[in-house]
Amino acid sequence: MHTIIVSHLAKGFGAVQAVADVSFTVSPGEVFGLLGPNGAGKTTTLRLMMDIFKPDAGEIAIFGGDLTLDKKRRIGYLPEERGLYKEEKLETTLLYLAQLKGVDEKTARQRLGEWLERLDLAEQRQQKIQTLSKGMQQKAQIIATLLHDPDLIIIDEPFSGLDPVNTRLVKQIFEEQRAAGKTIIMSTHQMHQVEALCNRIVLINRGRSVLYGLVNEIKRNFAGNAIVLEGQGDFSQVPGVLDVRHHNGTWEMGLQVGTDPQAVLQQLLAQPTNRITRFELAEPSLDDIFVQVVGGRSNQ
Amino acid sequence: MNNFWLVAKHEYRRMVLRRAFVLTTLLIPLGMAAVIGLAILVGESTADKRPLGYVDHTHQLDPTLWQNQPDATVELRPFPDEATAQAALENGDIQAFFVLPATYPNPRQTDLYFMEEPPNGDIWGAFDDFVRLNYTRQLDPALRQQLLDGPAVIVNDLDSGRTFSSASIINIILPFFATFIFFIATMSASGYMIQVVADEKENRTMEIMLTSLSPFQLIGGKTIGLLGVALTQLGIYGLTVVVGLLAAQPFVPMLQTAVIPWAYLLIMALFFLPAFALIAGIMVAIGSIVPNLQQGQQVAGLLNFLFILPIFLLAIIIENPNAPLAVAFTLFPTTAFLTVSLRWGLGSVPLWQLGASWVILVITAVFAVWVASRIFRIGMLQYGQPLSWKTAVAALRSS
Repeated sequence: MHTIIVSHLAKGFGAVQAVADVSFTVSPGEVFGLLGPNGAGKTTTLRLMMDIFKPDAGEIAIFGGDLTLDKKRRIGYLPEERGLYKEEKLETTLLYLAQLKGVDEKTARQRLGEWLERLDLAEQRQQKIQTLSKGMQQKAQIIATLLHDPDLIIIDEPFSGLDPVNTRLVKQIFEEQRAAGKTIIMSTHQMHQVEALCNRIVLINRGRSVLYGLVNEIKRNFAGNAIVLEGQGDFSQVPGVLDVRHHNGTWEMGLQVGTDPQAVLQQLLAQPTNRITRFELAEPSLDDIFVQVVGGRSNQ
Repeated sequence: MNNFWLVAKHEYRRMVLRRAFVLTTLLIPLGMAAVIGLAILVGESTADKRPLGYVDHTHQLDPTLWQNQPDATVELRPFPDEATAQAALENGDIQAFFVLPATYPNPRQTDLYFMEEPPNGDIWGAFDDFVRLNYTRQLDPALRQQLLDGPAVIVNDLDSGRTFSSASIINIILPFFATFIFFIATMSASGYMIQVVADEKENRTMEIMLTSLSPFQLIGGKTIGLLGVALTQLGIYGLTVVVGLLAAQPFVPMLQTAVIPWAYLLIMALFFLPAFALIAGIMVAIGSIVPNLQQGQQVAGLLNFLFILPIFLLAIIIENPNAPLAVAFTLFPTTAFLTVSLRWGLGSVPLWQLGASWVILVITAVFAVWVASRIFRIGMLQYGQPLSWKTAVAALRSS
């Protein structure tokens, strides 16, 4: 059974159609990526899923039906707009939030001790939240998301504000949650994190699902649209190429949809100043695919 | 524990443990006690305690009768003639002197002599009592005391069914005092309410809270928690008043015959709850619409005026508690609480006005809470942005 089914979701705010047509499903044990450019409708989609907004059209089924207060207790939500009671102590706030999710105080206190130790916040438990650094506050939010041991974890930019060490730690925690059979939906702009964690994604642009499926399949499908090039010459202005990156003598080029790699090669060779030593089709990164799909549609 | 009560408990503890609450709650009664104490001290120190002289040309007044009076608060000193009395007055030994002519009491004319300021009413009253005491001394002592005390009038108000007597003077004073106490507590609570809503907005906790509980649980729990805060404040103020009255009882005769005004307390309790809900609803709506606490407090300050308007028009209400303006204020929801409190102390409020006022207040309070919970849900997600009136109205219309 799917943990979440989102079907043809739509939501407008006055003249602005924030979500026009979004559909996807997520199953237990999955880490699902919700991607899209700024203003694409990701946060609105998450808020619709969490019953913060009511949809104008479409359907959402969570744990097999409408979202009730009991079901909300099975969800851990890390919203885009981070928020904790800044004037309260860390421990007091986290215990309060866990109890609102139905965890008794004794259990919450026991679990909290373990989480604080693991995320290196034990010494700050009696400090007011406003005295914590941005990274510490981010870790506190992650504890608030997980303290009640939710079955569905919805996280919006979970690595924001974290240093590389803590990013690795948090990533490891989410991998453990997935291994434990939890469902995770992650919205982020950090494509390398999506590639590392997610097995499926949906890409939303202008309120519509424009790309949806397994990460590996999507990358395979876009393989023909990227090339790797080495040689001498100016390769920055090639017709049909969407974006160009140059590092360590290697050029990576994302091609516009419909551009034939052979045609690109012929154009490069036609220039007498160019000298090509390597030319191959590349499996694009999700970053490339994101730019290609979103950029391509923006140009249309 | 139900989330509703969990929010209420959390909000109560959060507010009560704040330094500002502790200071406000303790400093206001202490400040009032200090002001009252200072007023008594100043009054005592400036009161003229010199004896009152008299010249008795009738030779009927017996000084020992006054000296044996248990409640004689001023010394009455006899003088053989006006010249001696005047010399004592000019010397500052006495504050004034009366002269009873030989023909007294036919006519009942007496002369008073003083320098700079006449003696106060208590001193005049003491001399009146002294003269009456002497002219009735041949009567039975019990009968004489009754004549001196005068009739004990009990005023019966057939409209409200209430009775008033000299023994219930405290019933008139207490509502005035309680009105201000309620006013302070209610205004504090409204300030707290707008603060917690603004805190919720500024801390950006709304999304997390709405994924754990319903807007009703959140707003209802906060309101109940803050009602507890207000009642705690009232309890402390009330306890201070009771302790103060008990301490003052041995020194203030009217307090010894005082009766606890249960009817007043019951009516005020009935009005307090919907009045609090009305204030809470309005403050939640304001807190949801404005982008931050500062703007919220500015708007709340203006709206608070609607609740305290009767205090500014106190003179009109005192002069005529049943004037059309007082009746209008009784029926208007924001002014009902204070107006009923004041009018009840000054006389009576017709039952139909009391009932109509309460019903209107309850309906308005329920409507205010309904409006607030709708606007709150939308307004809380407008991080750092004011909620437009158009959006607020749309929120009210949406299902």
